[in-house]
Amino acid sequence: MSTTPARTYWHLQAQQRQFSLLIEKRALIVNLLLAALLVFCSLASLAFGTLTIPLSGLMQTLLGNGSGMHDFVVTELRWPRLLAGGLTGAALALAGCLMQTLARNRLATPGIIGIDNAATAFAVASVVGTGISIAPPAMALTGAAIATALAFGLSGATGTRGYRFIIAGLAIGAISGAITQVMLSSVALDDANAAYPWTVGSLNARTDGSVQALAAGLALGYPLALALKRALVTLQLPEPVTISLGIHPGRVRLAGLVLSILLTGLAVAVAGPIGLVALLAPEMARTLSRPGTVPLTAAALTGAILMVISDLAGRLILAPLEIPVGIVTALAGSPYLLWILLRKSSDINQ
Amino acid sequence: MKSTPYYWPAWILLGLVGLTSLLFGAGTLELRQAFAVLAGQGTEEARFIVLELRLPRLAIGLVTGLALGVAGALLQTLTRNPLAEPGLLGVSAGSAFAVSLAILAGASTATLTTLVSQAGALAGCGLVILATRIQGVGQDPVRLVLAGATLSALLMSLTSLIMLIDQRAADEIRFWITGSIAGKNWEQLTTTLPTLVISGFIVIAVAKPLASLALGERVARGLGHRPGLVQLGVVIAVALLTGSATALAGPLMFVGLVVPFVARALGGADIRKTLWLCLPLGPAMIIAADTLSRLLVAPSEMPLGVITALLGAPVLLVIIRTRRIPTL
Repeated sequence: MSTTPARTYWHLQAQQRQFSLLIEKRALIVNLLLAALLVFCSLASLAFGTLTIPLSGLMQTLLGNGSGMHDFVVTELRWPRLLAGGLTGAALALAGCLMQTLARNRLATPGIIGIDNAATAFAVASVVGTGISIAPPAMALTGAAIATALAFGLSGATGTRGYRFIIAGLAIGAISGAITQVMLSSVALDDANAAYPWTVGSLNARTDGSVQALAAGLALGYPLALALKRALVTLQLPEPVTISLGIHPGRVRLAGLVLSILLTGLAVAVAGPIGLVALLAPEMARTLSRPGTVPLTAAALTGAILMVISDLAGRLILAPLEIPVGIVTALAGSPYLLWILLRKSSDINQ
Repeated sequence: MKSTPYYWPAWILLGLVGLTSLLFGAGTLELRQAFAVLAGQGTEEARFIVLELRLPRLAIGLVTGLALGVAGALLQTLTRNPLAEPGLLGVSAGSAFAVSLAILAGASTATLTTLVSQAGALAGCGLVILATRIQGVGQDPVRLVLAGATLSALLMSLTSLIMLIDQRAADEIRFWITGSIAGKNWEQLTTTLPTLVISGFIVIAVAKPLASLALGERVARGLGHRPGLVQLGVVIAVALLTGSATALAGPLMFVGLVVPFVARALGGADIRKTLWLCLPLGPAMIIAADTLSRLLVAPSEMPLGVITALLGAPVLLVIIRTRRIPTL
């Protein structure tokens, strides 16, 4: 994506004085628009479903004086789900954006390189209780950390750019998926059913604890990611340039990776592996933003929007049946991924 | 062309694996009784377990392994890509999706599935060949595999969508989709036999031209072969073989990758040697994986696809980790 000459955006990003605040006009507008869109989608998600609530009814409920039925549906059923979906999408998109930037590979998102699957395997392990009874978020974090270490450790000889890194991740994902299957097939049916939603990516199996953990993780991870942003932007430059700007690339990568693992693990603990949001959202955000930036906020907002819309679509398309949100995002995202891979001049390095 | 020292040991390995799969299983049958059945006697119950339950599985595993191993070797030589594998490239997913559609439309897994599955595999194969024609994709082994894996994921999502829509379809598909050779009977095996014979003839016919095609299209043309015809034959054979295997055992990943990889490591790059070695090695892998799937979580059973993935994914990692991926 970095077709713009490196010097242009560095010049624009520079801070003039010690305490000056540089607000980029385009980023501000894009983020405000995305936020408005997110609010709109959220309202739609609260209003539509098996029971359609008219706008007036929804407003009454939100203002605190709606009918009992509407109150129950909105505050007890749809709001927690909306919150979980939005947070998951934002976390995954942020994690994807970070990992793409630090691996300098636009396909290097947690879902594609198998980190989601590994986190799922560990979360399933804790649910079916094969002797390990730790809370799903902690287990999912462990799984995400192990898979990331494996993926980046195995990339030693070939680096993280190019397609090979991605295939190694694919193998890790396949192994993790198989391990999940092994665990599901070796326990009692009830336990397997309890853990099943994790394996397809659904907002039905969330627990309050895991959503709270995700909210806390996002509240911690987002400011840290923003603090890293300037350093991350320079990672797109050639390494000697980065170093000469006084930035330690290794440390920045490590910090970004840790944040990415944190966000992915916590998000998977809530909803399981959600296919391709971590790829789609940063890509869209990058299209909207000025070339050469690392649009963290825009990516997070886009991720939340994607999740909310996908969940709404999954609830409505085959109503009263519900399509798990992971399947919706996979169906929407795979054609795009295919397009990236099959274009004539495909450059996945950034 | 059987002049590799590993040829007969490979058959002996297959024999041993097959014997093991007859002797061991999830049931409470004692080893002594299983031996007695093989010797022509034994109790009625023992005879039922060994001859009615385990023997058909052995036969299905034999056919499935044979088909997948040979299909993998052919596809890899055709695309000149050591990673090209029917499971990874979306050929198996194509047939799985076709079968799911057929089941949604009212068919049952017991009937008709072989043909439908082969049609799906042919469509998947066509897509793969189209993708290799795109400049840059065909030359980059890894990119082709990624595109195939994405196609697989897309088709699998569509299949799970079908399972959501139709409860009956879901019940029919659920066990089959993770890959298993359990609970099949001889009839299902016989429905695939005609196509297996046809693809066998095709393989015999194309083996030699394919070996010269490995030297480049011009050389093959100079030697009097017609590359287009050979490629068409290979595509059809791969579709027939993968389609039969998928109809029997569900979409199995990595078998078509591991078996030719081992065969090439043992016998060298000549496609004819690879094919000969794939004949015993493919079944050996499936049957060994099936036996493991019965024993690991006995008395319950694991999907066969899980074991092949656990065996195959590390091999994929090994191939990827070598600095240079040799094109075939």
